[in-house]
Amino acid sequence: MFRRDGDSYHGVAFYNTSPKIIDFVKRHPIKPGRHTITARVALERRTIHVADLQADPEYKYVRRDVDPIRTELGVPMFRGNDLVGVNMLYKLVVQPFTDKQIELVTTFADQAVIAIENVRLFEEIQEKSRQVEEASKHKSQFLANMSHELRTPLNAILGYAELVLDGIYGDAPEKMRNVLERIQTNGKHLLGLINDVLDLSKIEAGQLVLSLNDYSIKDMMQGVYVAVEPLAGNKKLNFKLEVPPDLPAARGDERRLSQVLLNLVGNAIKFTDTGGVAMKASAANGSYTVAVADTGPGIAEADQAKIFEEFQQSDSTHTKAKGGTGLGLAIAKRIVEMHGGRLWVESALGSGSTFFFTVPLRVEHQAGKA
Amino acid sequence: MSKRILVVEDQEDNRQILRDLLGSVGYEMTEAWDGEAGVAAAKEQRPDLILMDIQLPLMDGYEATRRIKADPELKKIPIIVVTSYALSGDDGKAQAAGCDAYVTKPYSPRQLLAKIKEFLP
Repeated sequence: MFRRDGDSYHGVAFYNTSPKIIDFVKRHPIKPGRHTITARVALERRTIHVADLQADPEYKYVRRDVDPIRTELGVPMFRGNDLVGVNMLYKLVVQPFTDKQIELVTTFADQAVIAIENVRLFEEIQEKSRQVEEASKHKSQFLANMSHELRTPLNAILGYAELVLDGIYGDAPEKMRNVLERIQTNGKHLLGLINDVLDLSKIEAGQLVLSLNDYSIKDMMQGVYVAVEPLAGNKKLNFKLEVPPDLPAARGDERRLSQVLLNLVGNAIKFTDTGGVAMKASAANGSYTVAVADTGPGIAEADQAKIFEEFQQSDSTHTKAKGGTGLGLAIAKRIVEMHGGRLWVESALGSGSTFFFTVPLRVEHQAGKA
Repeated sequence: MSKRILVVEDQEDNRQILRDLLGSVGYEMTEAWDGEAGVAAAKEQRPDLILMDIQLPLMDGYEATRRIKADPELKKIPIIVVTSYALSGDDGKAQAAGCDAYVTKPYSPRQLLAKIKEFLP
């Protein structure tokens, strides 16, 4: 079997062919012409059948053949209009192929083209997906580097602002203090954005490794409760933590899971103006379920899947006014999934939202890693 | 006599902030700009505490911390490592290197001071 490469045809597969012929064919790619049957098939783009090659006036190798080819059949292999190869059959005796045999070889050639094409497409897709993966890794690495570079000067800005506010450089007048506090607030917001981008890029680059330890889910939730209680208090929300006393010991990345919970509770408080927010935990069937329920505006069904995607928020003016990066939930979801768990929301417009996540009681291996 | 703190940090702004912060509460601050100089300064000056950045030229903060902690004459000097953002796993590496405490960047000067005072009452 010959395959076209540019304007010449190369022997690529042989069956029951003498080593001498294989060697010769491999060293001599064939260009379209009349000197061999392969060349002739390439030139005329049709099946060529020669009953006795030694009697063919145009065949170039008559005298040099020791063990001469007599009957030869060449069948073109077309992909559409493109001649991709030639299928050659030969005999060392004069014995023409029958019509039935020629038809069989033609059918075989057509099928072979399809098979070869499938393999080629498959390889192409593999190569493409490898390239995409590579590009995605570069992107994540770039984001990781960039967020580091962005943070360094921001550290200095926030650091100086705090020193001035603390009166290290002398008493700052009230007006100046207000401005400095604004610099701080905005700086911290910017920092939050950068950290979120970094988190996500690390996760995407597969660089986030969970640090799995034994922990108490009650203590973890208590810690989050204490951290955000002032925020709920400022908004006069009823803020509750309900954890049964007999929860089994957990294993997982406590800090990451409290990051998840902090995000969920932070959102709940942010979006709830009246009523309350409740955190609950339960254990059943080898898993913890943690729920964060609020009496906020609720999330339309159409938005419920979207909010877990990067840079997406529930699409209402209400939400836009609340700020946020739109990355927190995407990160939370990834972290829960890395624990082999699930994060979802149950909500309806006007009747509040409840975010749930489940994680196995004892996570011994990071999901997606051996 | 005032307590002496060695700051190993390559960024001028960060050094300036620490100078102003530590000076304001009466600490004496010395500086080294890279990890190798940090280890040398620790040997020479025997400070009361070392603030060690991680991303440093010549030798990173982990290695510098390891070397200081491996020196029997220096290992008692408390080292507070200043790591970059926590998600990178730097905190674990800092602990493995033998630091006594770590703060993550961006640290609030006020919080850093509280941490220093735990070691230098």
